[in-house]
Amino acid sequence: MIRLNDIVVKFGDFTALHGINVHVKEGEFFTFLGPSGCGKTTTLRTITGFIEPAEGSVVVKDRDITRVPIEDRNIGIVFQSYALFPTMTVYDNIAFGLKVKKAKKDEIDRKVREIARKVDLSDEQLKKAVSQLSGGQQQRVAIARALVTGPAIICMDEPLSNLDAKLRVQLRNELKKMQKDFGITTIYVTHDQEEALTLSDRIAVFNKGFIEQIGTPNEVYNHSQTEFVCNFIGDINRLNDDTVSALRAAGAEVDASKHNYIRLERLHVNVAPRGGEIALDGTVESCEYYGLYIKYYIHVGTQSLKVIEKNDGVNIYDPGQRVKVILNPNDIMAYAPSAEEVE
Amino acid sequence: MGASLTKSRFDVAFVVRMIGIVLFAYFFFGFMLLPCLNTLTSIFTTTNAEGVRDPFAVIRFFFAGSMGRYVWNSLKLAICLVVTVNVVGVSIVLLTEYFDIKGANILRLGYMTTMIYSGVALVTGYLFLYASDGILTTALVNAFPSFDPTWFSGFNAVLFTMTFACTSNHALFLRNAIRGIDYNTVEAARNMGAKPFKVLWKVVFPTLVPTMFSLTVMTFITGLCAMSAPTLLGYDSINPEIVRLAGSSTADEAFPQARAALLSIILAMFTIVLLTVLSAYERKGHYLSVSKTKARLQKQKITSPVWNVIAHLYAYVLFIIYMIPVVMIIIFSFQTYGAIRMKKLDLSNWTLINFFGTQDYQYLTSRGTYKVRKGSISGLFANEATLGGIKMSFVLSILAAALACLIVVIACNYIFKNRNKKSGVVLEYCLLFPWLLPTILICYSYRTYFNAENIWYVGNVNLYFAEHVRILLVLAYTVVKLPFSLRMIKAAFYAIDEELEDAARNMGASGLTTFLRVKLPIILPSVLAVFALNFNALFTEYDMSATFASSYGTSYAMVIQAMCAEEGLYGYNVNASGRRCASTVFIMLVSGVILYLVYGVGARDLGERLEARERRRRRVAKLTGLFKKEPAAVAAEAEEAAVAAAVPDEPGEKL
Repeated sequence: MIRLNDIVVKFGDFTALHGINVHVKEGEFFTFLGPSGCGKTTTLRTITGFIEPAEGSVVVKDRDITRVPIEDRNIGIVFQSYALFPTMTVYDNIAFGLKVKKAKKDEIDRKVREIARKVDLSDEQLKKAVSQLSGGQQQRVAIARALVTGPAIICMDEPLSNLDAKLRVQLRNELKKMQKDFGITTIYVTHDQEEALTLSDRIAVFNKGFIEQIGTPNEVYNHSQTEFVCNFIGDINRLNDDTVSALRAAGAEVDASKHNYIRLERLHVNVAPRGGEIALDGTVESCEYYGLYIKYYIHVGTQSLKVIEKNDGVNIYDPGQRVKVILNPNDIMAYAPSAEEVE
Repeated sequence: MGASLTKSRFDVAFVVRMIGIVLFAYFFFGFMLLPCLNTLTSIFTTTNAEGVRDPFAVIRFFFAGSMGRYVWNSLKLAICLVVTVNVVGVSIVLLTEYFDIKGANILRLGYMTTMIYSGVALVTGYLFLYASDGILTTALVNAFPSFDPTWFSGFNAVLFTMTFACTSNHALFLRNAIRGIDYNTVEAARNMGAKPFKVLWKVVFPTLVPTMFSLTVMTFITGLCAMSAPTLLGYDSINPEIVRLAGSSTADEAFPQARAALLSIILAMFTIVLLTVLSAYERKGHYLSVSKTKARLQKQKITSPVWNVIAHLYAYVLFIIYMIPVVMIIIFSFQTYGAIRMKKLDLSNWTLINFFGTQDYQYLTSRGTYKVRKGSISGLFANEATLGGIKMSFVLSILAAALACLIVVIACNYIFKNRNKKSGVVLEYCLLFPWLLPTILICYSYRTYFNAENIWYVGNVNLYFAEHVRILLVLAYTVVKLPFSLRMIKAAFYAIDEELEDAARNMGASGLTTFLRVKLPIILPSVLAVFALNFNALFTEYDMSATFASSYGTSYAMVIQAMCAEEGLYGYNVNASGRRCASTVFIMLVSGVILYLVYGVGARDLGERLEARERRRRRVAKLTGLFKKEPAAVAAEAEEAAVAAAVPDEPGEKL
């Protein structure tokens, strides 16, 4: 569907993207995830044509569009700020693209009303100014506007980041549902890992202008290919040398020359070890109460390990209590230290 | 980008850009730089009696003769104005915004009258009251025979008039600055034991310092470049002298043109130095409030009863000084010429003759017979000269205001596209260039430079000759309004979210479509506001048309000035004073409507406009529904009900 081949983008002396390669399949919900300044929005803007790459090509349906002007690309976009035209009504905002393409009046009207219905905007709301709508409604207008011209791809640049937490979760679900209904290939940019994990079919994790990993949410989370990915996504424990020695003494195959990590939910407290699992002695230091779950800080050897326990009324431990921490060595993710650290 | 695919578009863009650059260069060099440089060089090209060139003759003349007096007079006025305007300006803002004074809203309206009433209209208004035959002076002389009837002349009169005339900027900017103060800082100071005046001095004033500094510099420049007040009230400052010299000839005095040029260059140097200091200061940054949640300022009660009474007295004395001319002029604009001449209100005899229509005037000649002058009492809209001035000012101001907006909008679009390139910066500085130059330098330069038949780039036509001077006036008006227009419209461009442009391009709009359909509607309210404010300022403009001093370019303000002198001469223009009052009322109305449109209606966004339209529609539907229950009305009612039902769902937080 859409391929980015060795994309390099430079701003003056600064290289923002170093040879980006991505292949997004038809109908896929594909997310660019990364911290701010990692190049994810730059990549998106290269696809829409706002930025011209210094090297590489953008290919959509086997057609090279690298040098095609922005307005001829037929790629929709929903902006972080929504970029709704404040001087136009909701109707005129949605109709803008069709009017520019010189569509017939009745066709414009039909399409605008059709898309408005699909994104749940009433006729009454179509007559309003965008400033009279709430944040969630504005977002639906932005989506309708991006979809009404029937683009091959829709790009979304952090479309939920302007909303409050509750609305964010609600709209996230609506977004996913809409994408399924329309079946449109979607490229989604976010720095919110939870958003990326819940929404995406596949995720590309960006860092400093490189792609660290491309994979399904499960692959990215449970089989992080790089140390950066495993640190960026979710919370994690890094095992120090003493803990690693203890595990090795207990017979686990852990490479002491590497950096070893384990996810919080892969550590268990006071359960019977199953095959291959290892138990370590520890003391509860403190806990953080989250409601749905409780995060315990447990002192094991010479380090503090974070552990998540479901708040089900059973796994309640007091600070100072001596406990056993159970883990499966297969859950440990190990990474070779980077070159400068070795020196 | 995309050179191969968009070849034709690229070529058009290139041609358009080239034409733009050539046009801009033509105007910048031809109508800004060359005339002013000509003025500068004309100082050094004087010839002495033998016809030998003597480059420093004017400078020697300056140091030997009395020319220094004009510079000193201007400086004296500027320095005194800085003190008096700041005192009055700070007072009116504190009295209406900071202290709890009873009737602050009414007081504010009074203090703000200078916004709709300024320039020649104001000066002639003050003359009407305070001149030796003015209403108030006459009343005072009648009450106290020892009162000096000529008290209102020269320096005192100029200082008095300008002190109250020049507080508009304080009323606007200082008010905003005071409203921007975080009230929590005041509360914190009070909480730590500071008394109200201590808080004012230690907490409030320091945050106002940047605004005060700017206002002080602007006031100083206003004083230096004062034109209408010194001219009308008779004070020998630089500007009136330049105008006089420009119209003088070498037969009467030594190189008058070169002396005028020297004076205007001296004025320009003062302005440039002051503005450089100001912008260097502004660049250092301001004290911004650091707090995230600002509390609205609450008015401070003056706890000491004595001070409270004094403050109230002071506030109302100022109010009276501001209001008396306005009230008197409005009242007398509806009085007959007889009442005005006798300086006595005739409550039984009101008239509209000063506005509309004509009357004959009968008078006794020295031979003891009565003579009638047909139509020599005439209203503002019936008097040919006045109407001519209004039309002239109207047309020239509209042209210049529109031209300035057009140039600045196109330039801003370019500046924003090229803001990281040199060309954008250069363009911006070129447009700001006239800001550095006193108006009189630009006008004087036009007057002397284009008063020749050998300026090739205007087709060897003498632009100062006959009607051509109107072209020069429009150009001068435009050039002078460029910096203000640029600052305002640039701010509007800053408000455009860059993503909007991206969004429009993404949906297939070309650069031009994006500009016309998306960007222009967003900045249009600002552009219209700037247009209206430009028009408002130019419509009653006096300084420039006075500098040109051409009977083909007699602006409205000059007609008003003329009305001060010609009253009743040989039975003509009998009601000139009345018409002058009527003119002032007319100007106040025009300015008032413009300011209301700009700051009241123009500030509404689309949502507010739609709501206002909805309210109007409902009102109309209700009215028509009262008279006839026709199907249309019923349908409208049903729709209204639907709208009303839909309202509670609205999440809007409209104020």
